[in-house]
Amino acid sequence: MPTVSRRTVLGTLGGAAALAAAPAPASARAPKPPHGDDLGLLFDSTRCVGCRGCVARCREANALPEDVKLVDGAPYDAPLDLNDRTLTIIKRTGDGPGDAYVKAQCMHCADPACVSVCMLGALHKGERGVVAYDVDRCVGCRYCQVACPFNVPRFQWSSATPRIVKCELCRHRWREGKGAACAEACPRDAVVFGTRAELRAEAHRRLDAEPGRYRGGVYGEREGGGTGVLVLSALPFTALGLPALGPEPVPALGETIQHGIYQGFVAPVALFGALAWVTWRNRRASGGGEEEP
Amino acid sequence: MAHASVAPVAGPLLTRGTKLALALAASASVLVSIRLFAGLGSITALNDGFAWGLWKPLNVVTFTGVGAGALGLALVAHVANRGRHHPLVRSAVLTGAITYTLAGLSVLVDLGRWWSVWGLAVPTRWNVRSVLLEVALCVVAYCAVLWLEVLPVLLERWRDAPGARGRLAARVLPRLQRMFPFLLALAIVLPFMHQSSLGALFLFAPTKLHPLWYTGWLPTLFLLSCLSMGFGAVIVIDTLSHLAWRRTRDVRLCGSLALVMAALSFAFVALRVGDLAASGALRHVTGWRGVLFLVELGLFTYPAVRVLRRSYREDPGLLFWAAQLAVAAGAMYRFDVYLGAFTPGMGWSYFPSLAEIVFSVGLAAAGVALYVVLVKRLPILSGVARAAERRPEAERLRAHA
Repeated sequence: MPTVSRRTVLGTLGGAAALAAAPAPASARAPKPPHGDDLGLLFDSTRCVGCRGCVARCREANALPEDVKLVDGAPYDAPLDLNDRTLTIIKRTGDGPGDAYVKAQCMHCADPACVSVCMLGALHKGERGVVAYDVDRCVGCRYCQVACPFNVPRFQWSSATPRIVKCELCRHRWREGKGAACAEACPRDAVVFGTRAELRAEAHRRLDAEPGRYRGGVYGEREGGGTGVLVLSALPFTALGLPALGPEPVPALGETIQHGIYQGFVAPVALFGALAWVTWRNRRASGGGEEEP
Repeated sequence: MAHASVAPVAGPLLTRGTKLALALAASASVLVSIRLFAGLGSITALNDGFAWGLWKPLNVVTFTGVGAGALGLALVAHVANRGRHHPLVRSAVLTGAITYTLAGLSVLVDLGRWWSVWGLAVPTRWNVRSVLLEVALCVVAYCAVLWLEVLPVLLERWRDAPGARGRLAARVLPRLQRMFPFLLALAIVLPFMHQSSLGALFLFAPTKLHPLWYTGWLPTLFLLSCLSMGFGAVIVIDTLSHLAWRRTRDVRLCGSLALVMAALSFAFVALRVGDLAASGALRHVTGWRGVLFLVELGLFTYPAVRVLRRSYREDPGLLFWAAQLAVAAGAMYRFDVYLGAFTPGMGWSYFPSLAEIVFSVGLAAAGVALYVVLVKRLPILSGVARAAERRPEAERLRAHA
C-alpha cells in the first residue's frame, strides 16, 4: 500500500497543532487606553442616599416604560435589577448600618469585552468613548451578556423582535447639550457626568479632602483597562458588586491568543496548502481517486 | 483500495423508529413556532445571567463534537493515508454533515434576531476581532464542505440513470473528484479553526469561568476533545448501524481508531492537568466543581487506558462501551465550560426548561431519522462485502499489525 512518509504526516499535524494551540506570548495587540475627553460618570456611593431619582429620570430620558410589580396587591414601579426596561438601578449592599447604596449601569469600558466579541459590531465604541448599540446590526446572539464582567447588557426575552438594552450615557441628548439624565437628577452630587479628565480630578479631590471617608482609591481608573464610569466607596468594591479586575482589559488574553493563531491568516492558509498537497500526493500515489471520498 | 460500501441498506423508510423520531421533531417545531411569536423567554429558562443555556453546549458544541468524526477520519484516512479506514469515511462524513446542519438550525432558533443573520454575508459589517464571527463563518463554510463531500454518493447513483440526471452527474462528479484534495484540506482546516474557537469563546469571560476551566489552552483542549469524542462517535455509530442492520464489519478498524482516540485523550488529560499544575490552579479542586473536574478526567482516562489492551479493543461490546465513555467525556468537558463551571455572579441560576430539552431531543431525533433514511437509500455504509472481497483487506490488516 502506498504511504506517505511518517515524517510528512507528523510535519503536517505539527503545523496543525501550532494553528490550534499555544497561548503564545502576545504579539502586538494594540492597547486601547481611555482618553481624557471620553465622557463618563463618577458615582460616589458615600453620598448616595438611595432616592432613586436617577432611576426615574433615566426612564424618562430614554422613554422606557415603567417596570410595575405588584407588592401585596399594590402596584409599584420597582425594578429589582437592571432589566429589559431599566438602564440604571440603585441597590443596597446589605441591611446593616455600614451598608451603602450602589448604582449600576453600563461601565463604558475603554476596551470592552462586549465590543470585542460582537460579531457585526452592534455594540461598538462610539463617540467620546461611549459603548453604543446599533440594533440594526444585532443578531441577538447574546455573547455580549456572556462576556460582560458587569452583567450589564440585558435582553428582551419576551419579545419576538428582541434587542439588547443598556445604558448609552444618554448619547441621544448630547446634541441638545445635555449629559446623562441620571447625573442631572442627583441632588447630592453622588452621580456626576463629565469628561474622564474632569471626573478623575473630582474623584481625587474628594479622596484628598476626606481620605478617611473612602477606601481603595478610584474604581475604574485602571480596572479592566479603565472604565468610563468611576466609583468611590467606603466599602470594598467587591461589596458593591464590582468584579475584582486587574489592569488588563477583559478581552486582552482572548484576543492575544486568537490574534496569535490567526496572525495575517498565515497559519490557516499554510495548513490548508500542506493538507491539500499531502492529500493530492496520497491520491496520486494510490492511483486516482475514483473511490473518494 | 476497494471501497467496501456498495449497496444502500434499503428497506422501508417509515418504521416505528423513524415515526417516533418524526413525532419528536414535530413537537420541536411546534416549540419553535411558539418561540417565533412570543420570544425566547416563552419556551426557555434563559436569563440575563445565563444568556446561553442547554442548546449551546448540547445542540452546537456536543452535536458537532460527535460530527467531528468526519475530521478525525479525514486525518486518518486521507492525510495519514491509512486507506483501510475508507469503509468508515462515508458514514462519518454524513454524520458530520447532519450534526453541523442541526447545530446551525439550533443557532438560528437561538438567535434573538435571526432575520438579521444576512449581515454575516457582508464583509464590511464584520467585526474581525470577534471569535464568534469566526466560529459562525467557519461553521457555515464547513457545513457546505461536508454536504459537498456527501454529494458524490448521490451523484454516483445518478450517473447510471438515463437523461438529464445522468448527464449532470457525469459532468459534476469528475470535477468534484478533482476538487477533492482542496475540499479535504478545507474539511480539516475549518473544523480546526472553529472547534478550537468554540473553546476560545470563553477566554472572553475570565471572571465567570471557574479557574479549573479558565486557561489559555481552552482552544487546544476543545480541539483535542472534539477529536477524541469524534473518534468515539465513529465507533459508536458503526457499532449501532452494525447491530441495527446486521452488516458485516471489521472490528479491528474501529479498534485501531480507538488507539488514536486513546492517544488524544491522554494528550487532553496531560495538557489539562499539566497546565493546571503549572498555573497553580489545581488547588481549586474542591467542592462540587472539583468533583465535576475529577469525573471529567476519569471519563477521559478510563476508556483510553482500557483500549490499550488489544483483547479489550477487539471485543465489540467492550469497545462500544469505551467509545461511549469517550463521547461522554468530551461532552462533559464541553458542558462544564459552557454551563457547569460558568458563574455569571450572585443570584443567577439556570436549569433548562422542559421545552428546551424537548427541542434538543427533537433535533437529535430528526438527525437520526435523516441518517437512517439516507443510509437506506444511498451507498453510505460499508459491510455488505462478501467474504471473498474481505480477504485481501484482512491480509493488509495483518501486514500492518
